Amino acid sequence: MSLVEDPRGYWSGLTVAEKGVTAAIVLFAVGLVVSLLGGLLAPTYFLFLVGLAGMYALLSLGLNSQWGFSGLINFSVAAFFGIGAYGTALASASSSPVAGGLPPIVGLFAALVLAALLALFIGIPTLRLRADYLAIASIGLAEVVRLIVLNQDSWTNGSAGVRGIPGFFEGWPVLATFPDTMPTIVLGSGPGAMVLNAPFWQALLNVGLVLAFVGVSYLVLRRAHRSPWGRVLRTIRSDEDLASALGKNTYAFKMQAFVLGSLIMALAGVFYAHLNLYVSPGDLDPITTFYVWVAVILGGSGSNRGALFGGVVIVLIREGTRGLPFEAAPIRLLAIGVIIVLLMRFRPQGILPPQKELIWPGTVDETPQQPDSGVRETKAGEK
Amino acid sequence: MVLDQLASGLVYSSIIVLGSIGLSLVYSIAGFANFAHGDTMTIGAYTALVTFGAVGGIGGSVLGLPAGFFVALVAGIAMAALVAVVTEKLVYSGMDLDSIGLLIASIGLAFIYRALIQLGFSAQSTRYGIQSLRPIEALVPYGVRITEHDVAIFVSASLLVVGLHVLLQYSDLGRKMRAMADNPDLARVSGIRTERVKLWTWIIGAGLAGAGGVFLGLYSQLTPRMGFNLLLLIFAAVILGGIGSVYGAMLGGFLIGMINQLTPLLSDIGIPIGIEYANAIAFVIMVVVLLVRPNGIAGEAT
Repeated sequence: MSLVEDPRGYWSGLTVAEKGVTAAIVLFAVGLVVSLLGGLLAPTYFLFLVGLAGMYALLSLGLNSQWGFSGLINFSVAAFFGIGAYGTALASASSSPVAGGLPPIVGLFAALVLAALLALFIGIPTLRLRADYLAIASIGLAEVVRLIVLNQDSWTNGSAGVRGIPGFFEGWPVLATFPDTMPTIVLGSGPGAMVLNAPFWQALLNVGLVLAFVGVSYLVLRRAHRSPWGRVLRTIRSDEDLASALGKNTYAFKMQAFVLGSLIMALAGVFYAHLNLYVSPGDLDPITTFYVWVAVILGGSGSNRGALFGGVVIVLIREGTRGLPFEAAPIRLLAIGVIIVLLMRFRPQGILPPQKELIWPGTVDETPQQPDSGVRETKAGEK
Repeated sequence: MVLDQLASGLVYSSIIVLGSIGLSLVYSIAGFANFAHGDTMTIGAYTALVTFGAVGGIGGSVLGLPAGFFVALVAGIAMAALVAVVTEKLVYSGMDLDSIGLLIASIGLAFIYRALIQLGFSAQSTRYGIQSLRPIEALVPYGVRITEHDVAIFVSASLLVVGLHVLLQYSDLGRKMRAMADNPDLARVSGIRTERVKLWTWIIGAGLAGAGGVFLGLYSQLTPRMGFNLLLLIFAAVILGGIGSVYGAMLGGFLIGMINQLTPLLSDIGIPIGIEYANAIAFVIMVVVLLVRPNGIAGEAT
């Protein structure tokens, strides 16, 4: 059944979309490797892209556990991302107006605690609201958070942002000095040569960090999604009244999902702060929220692997538009807008919708139905 | 001081009211929170910019505004309405989605509008080529510093609001719109051509938004983000009034605009919250209203 035991059976068990996406990813990976070897793509920049993709994947996983699992329309992703970044920055940066100079691992926990508090601050008033009110209220409260970060100079340095953030592994044995102790390796010769020096090893370390974050989050979420807890969330998403009638405290479940997702978003912020070594109120701009929304609905709401895929596509849009001969910001915005509209018009369930789920919105009101496309008739590998 | 802030509150409210009426109308009839509404305002503003550049020389002036500006205003209204109709025909009408799906689609449209404006006009802020005026002399002794342009904004917005009221209460279309807002299914079985009424709702709502955008550009300046930046305030206004209620939207817009401009008074009476938190206060009011009285001041009926 698995890829290793029976690759052919696995492949034939995939839907057309899954085959297409898999093929596209393989092609894309081949293209990346070729341009890497051909010297078009600097190895350090390549690793930076991987790190960024991991960051968006984290954000998408977080939003997916709110919107995809439980149907919560959270438009305050940027606030959680920003609070994660600011949490660790204020704890660990040398220019922090609050504490400063603490080890980044303390910053990580500070960020998670702050994010949990913010999740309660936003969740307690809004999670009882109807879906579209929740969207509007959460984006409003995210703006409140942004305005506070922007204007409370004594806490956050205001518009100047926080500088002097150490790398995440500062003070760790071995890892702290790893980039400097690794030798400089030159592969090939001439202008196309790959130089693997300290920035490269540093970038490699960052990728390792984000992969660890993504891996842990993915495993936790997959476990949560399959657990009875996740089943209750899916029921709430489909029909909240039904869940209440079955004796579930829907508000408590929604709050748990909200906090869980927010912590994962904050984790993305922590990674970002230690990658970028500088945070500013601009990182809380609502556009981040909408990038992540595109990633989740593109990948398929409720689907964790879809969220990973969406994260990669967002990096493609953001970084692929660099180096254009004209200003890229409107092009990026246009691309995002067109993707959203086309998706909602032609494939609202996303490219990789979750498979084999029993509860879908609408199953209760009407005759049981499955989403129009993208659902396996049989389980993978079965005849 | 208080008088001055009340006066500028009136002017700012006029702009917000124009925006919130349209949002509320579309919500009540198309059934979703339209995130592209703010950028519809931006479209109106930039259309007026282009039109005024072309016809600015037309003679005569009213309230310190050249007659050409009113031509530009009409053009802004028309373009915003046109874009809304095209969008409805091309995008929304082909979608089989719930209100959340439409909401997300409208975010995509908002980005498309804004990106196109930014491509055409760059992200820099700009202004209409109209000389800014000194405050009206007669009012300065009372501490009120508003210009004739501000008066023009207030008067024009009032005329548009009164016009809408007359339309809703005394015209055939208005009656159909109210019927549809109350109960779309009942309206349809009663023989109302709901598709046509819906289209008119888009035209009126977007047209008013376009007017609001033109005035917003006159009040401060034009940037591709201007409408989007105002959108949350407009949502706050609409929710405060009761989403889906046009008269509620007027009242909510008036209150939110006033609160926004009166924020500096807070520090005068010893609460250390400055003007930089004016928008934050509006959002907090919005959330509190949703919690305490989700139907808003005027309830959900038109």
